[in-house]
Amino acid sequence: MQDFYIPATAMSPEIDFRFSRHVLNIKGESYPENAAAFYNQVLSQLTLYLSSPEHKSIEVNVELKYFNSSSTKILLKLFEILNDAVHAGNSITLNWYHDEDDDTILEFGEDLHSDYERLNFNPIAISAA
Amino acid sequence: MDLEGFNEFRDSAHRQGILFFYSGYFSQNIIASMADAVRHRLESQAAKGSTTRKVFSTFIEMAQNIIHYSADHLTDETATDHEMRFGTVTLGRQGDSYFVVCGNLVPQDAVPHLSEKIDSIRKMSAEEIKAAYKETLRAETEASSKGAGLGFLTLARDSTQPIEYSFVNLPENGNAFFYLKAII
Repeated sequence: MQDFYIPATAMSPEIDFRFSRHVLNIKGESYPENAAAFYNQVLSQLTLYLSSPEHKSIEVNVELKYFNSSSTKILLKLFEILNDAVHAGNSITLNWYHDEDDDTILEFGEDLHSDYERLNFNPIAISAA
Repeated sequence: MDLEGFNEFRDSAHRQGILFFYSGYFSQNIIASMADAVRHRLESQAAKGSTTRKVFSTFIEMAQNIIHYSADHLTDETATDHEMRFGTVTLGRQGDSYFVVCGNLVPQDAVPHLSEKIDSIRKMSAEEIKAAYKETLRAETEASSKGAGLGFLTLARDSTQPIEYSFVNLPENGNAFFYLKAII
């Protein structure tokens, strides 16, 4: 399957899905006007990638500086899809980057972890520049 | 506006601790530019990182509420993208806390539902707000929402005091002016 790339804008993150290497990166800001429209294509690419019967070891890196409420809802959906993929026999590590003093993003990550226990959740604090 | 009027305006803004003010049409590109300005303004205040993040989040949620729901729009009522709607937003500092205030028109018939929604959040403790936030995040989205139905809960979650609001009915056009304030 072709790799999938969307460049970052001031309000939407860079999506760098290297399906060929099983590394999925999401990085930047996330407050698009219509979060559903932005993320729908991302979710459909992801679903397509995960639909292959091959069992994979996947690394997911999420490094979001800020995400608004409508993005939050869709991110939850994205992690649900990943968690289901673990049920289907894949192994997934989620590297969850958060600013060291951003407790909101860390807490959201921890909630994700308790909801989706099969993801190998790895919170990583980055120091504020 | 002559110099005297301009100075009065600036003095008044200064007295009220205003760090940022915008009144006009809101588009997503305008919000992105304001977000940049607001972030720099907050960083220059040397506030704690977590406070800066909460103020920033509040600012974006309010600005996007205007873009989605203001009754004064240039774009079609049913549009969900590339919208242009009129509103006002301001950010300021009073002592050790920040406030974000926004104002826009809403249809009068939306007032009871909005009041009910905000009143129920105003009564919640911080723990109850967190619980309601988690529950709403995992629930199906309300049909009337263009986002996640989480906007007011997100404001409440990031605020240190209950969010404040008022409506002023404008009988001449069937709208009401919606004032909303959060303190962080």
